[in-house]
Amino acid sequence: MSKSILTLFLAAFLAAVPARAADESCGKCGKQTYGTSVVWSGSPSEAATKAKAEEKLVFVLHVSGHFEDPKFT
Amino acid sequence: MNALANPEVGSFINKNFVSSFQKVATFQIVNGQKQGGNVAAYFCAPDGRVLHCVAGPVDAATMLREAKWVVDGVKKAMEENRKTEVPFKALFRRWHAERLRQEYGLVIEPATFDAPAPREDDPLTYNDPTGRPVLPVLILPPIDGPDVQFRAMAKEAAADAAPGANVVACRKGGRWSLGNQGRVHQLMSAYSMSKIEKVYATVFESILGERVSTKPVITINARDGERRSVCLTCESKAAAQD
Repeated sequence: MSKSILTLFLAAFLAAVPARAADESCGKCGKQTYGTSVVWSGSPSEAATKAKAEEKLVFVLHVSGHFEDPKFT
Repeated sequence: MNALANPEVGSFINKNFVSSFQKVATFQIVNGQKQGGNVAAYFCAPDGRVLHCVAGPVDAATMLREAKWVVDGVKKAMEENRKTEVPFKALFRRWHAERLRQEYGLVIEPATFDAPAPREDDPLTYNDPTGRPVLPVLILPPIDGPDVQFRAMAKEAAADAAPGANVVACRKGGRWSLGNQGRVHQLMSAYSMSKIEKVYATVFESILGERVSTKPVITINARDGERRSVCLTCESKAAAQD
């Protein structure tokens, strides 16, 4: 009985960790920041479209690993 | 990552850029230790052409300096382009060469003209049947040699201790130590204002020494709408009937 509760608890904990990392967002505007001070748009093409509309430049970060989760970047 | 966590860097980037990220390579965790993996930051025009790049992890001050250099450069280039009609590309390439001369003491001739790219439907162009592979690593433009005025100063700036310091050869046979950022200027003096898909493999493989994973590239540059399956037997029959 205690073993199954422990397994359930562990499964719930493991499921919660990546969700929290992926939802990391700015406290003010609610946009995705992933632990940085930069607000991230979707794909580079989306960023390019947005940049053209807002008359800005595009900043593209190329990373190894899984950027959304700081443990895997 | 640490540089991007800095509030000053963040606010400057948010004010002047629209940001995005891509996974282009991978790393391994062996016995709890991270092996490999790297990062490159590109400052691009809204059409995806690269103005400048920061290769490898840097501190907040460096990231901010490079971002400001790009923003100021764009403003300056727009003014100069209006006055003199010198192309944007040529100006940026000259400025990269100038930074290489001033900061690293090496002289390079910026390539201000690009040879026309071969057409995709050209009979002499090889099309990879697997789709769109990573473009080949670009050849870095040759270094002419040291600049007598700045070389001594640059040496003083501990070029050997620069991140990713590697030996580069000049036309005259000399060997010079150049870090990641120096080699970025070398690359950008010939390929600035090229599309990001043309330069990113060179930055990751040639400058940072990381293998690029092609998978994200296929996803990003999906060309499914343009692709069609070709039956070689039917195609050859049709050709024979004609």
